[in-house]
Amino acid sequence: MNRELTADAIGAHERASATPVRRDPVPTAKARRARAALPEQAGLRSQQEIFCAAVMTPEDEPELLDEASAARLVTPGGTLSALERLAIYRTAYHARLIECLSDDYPVLKHALGAAEFEALCRGYVAQHPSTGPSLNDFGRHMADFCRTSLTGVAGFASDLAQLEWAIVLTIHAPTAPELATEELATIPAERWPEVCLVANPSLRILHFAYPVNAYFQASRSGEAPSIPSEATTSVAVYRTGRSIWRLPLTAAMVVLFESLANGTALGPSLALLEPLLANDPEAAPRVMAWFRQGVSSGLFSGIVAA
Amino acid sequence: MANRFGLPNLGIGLGLRTVHYSTIVESQPSVDWFEIISDNYVQTVGRPLDFLEAIAATYPIVMHGVSLSIGSTDPLDEEYLRELGALRDRVGALWVSDHLCWTGVAGRNAHDLLPMPYTEEALRHVIGRVRQVQDFLGAPLVLENPSTYVEFAGASMREWEFLGRLAEDADCALLLDVNNVYVSAKNHGFDPLTYLEAVPFDRVVQFHVAGHTDHGTHIIDSHIGPVVDPVWRLLAIAHERAQGASVLLEWDAEIPSFEVTHAEALRAREFIGAGP
Repeated sequence: MNRELTADAIGAHERASATPVRRDPVPTAKARRARAALPEQAGLRSQQEIFCAAVMTPEDEPELLDEASAARLVTPGGTLSALERLAIYRTAYHARLIECLSDDYPVLKHALGAAEFEALCRGYVAQHPSTGPSLNDFGRHMADFCRTSLTGVAGFASDLAQLEWAIVLTIHAPTAPELATEELATIPAERWPEVCLVANPSLRILHFAYPVNAYFQASRSGEAPSIPSEATTSVAVYRTGRSIWRLPLTAAMVVLFESLANGTALGPSLALLEPLLANDPEAAPRVMAWFRQGVSSGLFSGIVAA
Repeated sequence: MANRFGLPNLGIGLGLRTVHYSTIVESQPSVDWFEIISDNYVQTVGRPLDFLEAIAATYPIVMHGVSLSIGSTDPLDEEYLRELGALRDRVGALWVSDHLCWTGVAGRNAHDLLPMPYTEEALRHVIGRVRQVQDFLGAPLVLENPSTYVEFAGASMREWEFLGRLAEDADCALLLDVNNVYVSAKNHGFDPLTYLEAVPFDRVVQFHVAGHTDHGTHIIDSHIGPVVDPVWRLLAIAHERAQGASVLLEWDAEIPSFEVTHAEALRAREFIGAGP
């Protein structure tokens, strides 16, 4: 069982006060006639509502305002019409949120291809507009959105999105000390069955219908993996200090580590494995090796005081 | 004329960006100070704060936000304000800034620095909210002039008048982004020196410089690439009028190595002298 380091830059979307620049603006249809109008004597609230609605109109839909109604809201300039000036904000709004999702889901983007990923993101932005001051959790619906909005690769894409979102959550989870194996060694052998461990607060054990962790690793290694066939897999995602790890788990490891992470003592947790390993004469030393490696890998951050 | 708020001139700083975290933590380069984007460190208790605390232990930190939405007609987000205050106290930030703008309405957040209509109604509205924020934070709010790509049809004053009256009536501090002055001047056809004439420089505690993208018909405040000389020259004029204030380079797209970014920031010395 070898854990894999997740590169530092992944999953850390960074806000900025800059305006994003799109090198290939999306062609957008003119409104045949305005679908909204600024009221006479419009106050600040009305101006903001209609400005916001115009900016947030999806780029694959016709503009909300026509030229005349746009010019009642903002003035035309020397080189751009009122609508063209508003379009700068509309483009930036969509570009910024798509950029945020691209930062959160780089491997999903690679898997789907840039064009399909961008189309997915446009649908996402329309269905799940941001309502809070932070973009840290903006992408939280992506796994569900993939499942309901994609065809063909929905299951794989949803699993992959779930893995990438777990990495984002791990980045923002509390930092905890790692349980030292020396600390475990101070416990007398007869008391080990009673020992309860504190899970690393960033730990997430995920279960997939597709081998997305292997796909993720291959993609990050610069390979061009094909979309895999279904195969049940599990992985632990967690952080130690500033490093984020992915640790592939077998079914038996899942039973052991989920039980320990839930606060069950070591003795009863090991007992859960007996039905799974009944015919394996090497089970006992192997399980203890998993346990030691789980501890040394940083899955746990302490021992529950007796 | 030192600024009236007693806030220090920190010298020449850099916007702290994720891609430079490791270099800064490991090699501890000689940099006067760092400005953080506040929003990258709220609603998280994880790795970003880990790095920030390590960096704040060595360098002066200033907070710069993009989500205060001081001009919105939605209520102020008190939870966000609480988080800003807690972050400031945690890392010992010397001041908290944001933009003269709004970022959304009716509960929707565009995450963009949307322009204000420069009207008497908007001015009264923003003055009241700046006072609320300052009461909440127990410190002067530092407001930055934004880059804008539109002007509202119903405007009754220009941005520099709005900003000056706002600063005086709300008694707030200013962050003058000379690149934004340049960008807006080109986009709206005014003389940037006219803008600078109206700035109450005793309220200016910080300057921003940045690169931009010229599309011919308009300029986008993209924070890409080096600062152009006309923007440096505006900084020279403004810095002299303020009798010195902290200068910061923002570089947010196609970010080069730390060394290249820092070298670009230090070009400010050619225009403002050797430092504080």
